[in-house]
Amino acid sequence: MVSDSIINSSVPSALNSKDFGKKKRANRSAKLKQCKLDARREQWLSQGAGKTKGCEENKDNVRREFPKHSRKTSNEREPSFLEMRGRVEGIGESIHHHESDMELSPANSPTSILLGSTESGTNFSGSSSSSSSSGGCCSGCITEEEEDGDDGCLDDWEAIADALAADDLNQNQNQKQCTELPPQHGEPITQFDPMRDLSNLKPEHPRMVQRTAANTGAWRPDDVFRPQTLPNLSKLPSFPATDRKFSKRGVPWACNNAVNAPSSCPICCEDLDFTDTKFFPCLCGFRLCLFCHKRIIEDDGRCPGCRKPYEHEPLEVETSVHGGSLTFRLSRSCSMNTRS
Amino acid sequence: MATINGYQGNTPVTAPAGTASKQPVSAAKTVDTQSVLKRLQSELMALMMSGDPGISAFPEEENIFCWKGTITGSKDTVFEGTEYKLSLSFPNDYPFKPPKVKFETGCFHPNVDVYGNICLDILQDKWSSAYDVRTILISIQSLLGEPNISSPLNTQAAQLWSNQEEYRKMVEKLYKPPPSA
Repeated sequence: MVSDSIINSSVPSALNSKDFGKKKRANRSAKLKQCKLDARREQWLSQGAGKTKGCEENKDNVRREFPKHSRKTSNEREPSFLEMRGRVEGIGESIHHHESDMELSPANSPTSILLGSTESGTNFSGSSSSSSSSGGCCSGCITEEEEDGDDGCLDDWEAIADALAADDLNQNQNQKQCTELPPQHGEPITQFDPMRDLSNLKPEHPRMVQRTAANTGAWRPDDVFRPQTLPNLSKLPSFPATDRKFSKRGVPWACNNAVNAPSSCPICCEDLDFTDTKFFPCLCGFRLCLFCHKRIIEDDGRCPGCRKPYEHEPLEVETSVHGGSLTFRLSRSCSMNTRS
Repeated sequence: MATINGYQGNTPVTAPAGTASKQPVSAAKTVDTQSVLKRLQSELMALMMSGDPGISAFPEEENIFCWKGTITGSKDTVFEGTEYKLSLSFPNDYPFKPPKVKFETGCFHPNVDVYGNICLDILQDKWSSAYDVRTILISIQSLLGEPNISSPLNTQAAQLWSNQEEYRKMVEKLYKPPPSA
C-alpha cells in the first residue's frame, strides 16, 4: 500500500490548489496534508531513530562543546549513551583485547586522544554533506575505514564495513564536489563524544576505547544493537542520495518518498523497474513510471502530484546518484521528449 | 458473475483475480485497456482495504469500467443520515482523463443538477491522474457539506443554503433513499 499512501500525501496538495473559492475546504485539506506530512515524517524519523539518535544527541553536544556538560544537561539522553558505552566496551574487549594489551602504555593515551580528534575532524567533512537523518551511517563508515589505517585488525564484518565505507566514501566525495559544507558539521563529532567521555573515565585504556567507539559507528546505522543486520547495509548507498535531496531541497516528504519508494506506479499500477525507481520527475516528489510520465508529457504535461507543469528535465537528484547513470538517464528522457 | 458476488461477501483478496480473468465487455481490447484494468482493479482493492467511513464503490456487473458508488452525508451537515448512489463511468484513457460521475439518487444540492450531474472542478479541469475513486468519493462527500454557492447548478438550493434549517427540511422532503440492492 505504499503507492496508496503516497497518493494520499500528494492528493491533498492538489486539492489545495483549487481555485473554486472553497476556502474552508482548502484550509481543511491543507491541514490534513500537514497532519499527514507530520505523521509520516515522525514515522520516518522514528524508524530512523536508531540511526539518527546519535546525530541528534550530538548536535546538542557540539553546541555545548564539552561532553561532560552535555551529560549533565541532557539527562534523558544519558541512558542511551551508557547503554552504547556498555555495549561498545564489551565488543572492544572481545575483539581488540590483544591490541589494547600491547599498546596499553600510558604514553599512548595522548596520541590516541589526538587521533580521536583528528578523526572526528575528517569525519565531519565527510559526512557533513549527508546532513540530517542518516548522517550517522556515513560518518560511522568513514571512521571505520580511516580507523583501519592505523591498526590492521580485521574481522569479517569489518571487511564488509570497509567495502561499504569505500562505497560511501565515493559518494561522499561526489557530494563534496557539488555541495558546500552545510551547517550540520556537528554530528560526526558528537558521535565521538561518548568515546571521549570514556577516555576521560578510563585514561588507562584510551586506545581501546577509541577503537570501539569507532566500531560502533560502523554498524550503528541499522542497529539498535546488532551487527547481524550487516547484510542490510547494502541498501545504504541509497541513503546518501536521499539525504542529499533532503538537504538541498528541504522537502522532507520528497525524502520520505524516496525512502519508502513506491514499488508500483501510482498511475498505471505496474511495477516500477530499475530505471523507474531512479526516476524523479518532479520536485514535489511525486513519482511515476517512465511510460506514464511520457504519456502525461504528451498530454497536458503537468505533474499529477502537484499539477505544476513538468518543465525541467528530471535533474539534480539523479545527478547525485552516480556520475555514470546521469548521462544515461538524461539521454533517455530526452529521447522520450523528442519522440513525442 | 460468481466472483463478483463473492466479492461483495467481503473477500477482497480473491476478487481482483476474478475480475482480471474476465475481459471487459464494452471496452476496446487494447494494451491500453489492460493497463486501465489493472489500475481499476488496484483502486478497487485499495478502496476496500481503506475502509473509509461513508463511502463505498464497486464495479457494476460484467463491466469494471462502470462502477456504482455510495456516499453518506457527513455528520453535522444538513445531509446527515442520507445516503446517495452515484455512477462512475471510466473512459478508456483513465486515469489520464477523469471518470464521469453522476448522482443516481436525487440530491438537493447547489452543485448538483436535477439530472445528477455534478459540478466539481476535480472531475473536470482540475483532474489529476493521481486521483482515484476513493479521493473522488471523499471529495464529493465533502462537497455535500461545503457547496460552492458562487457557481450553482441548482440555484434554488444555492439560495436556500443560507437557511440551514429550511435546507434540512428540503433535503428530508426530497430525499428518496436508494433501494437497497
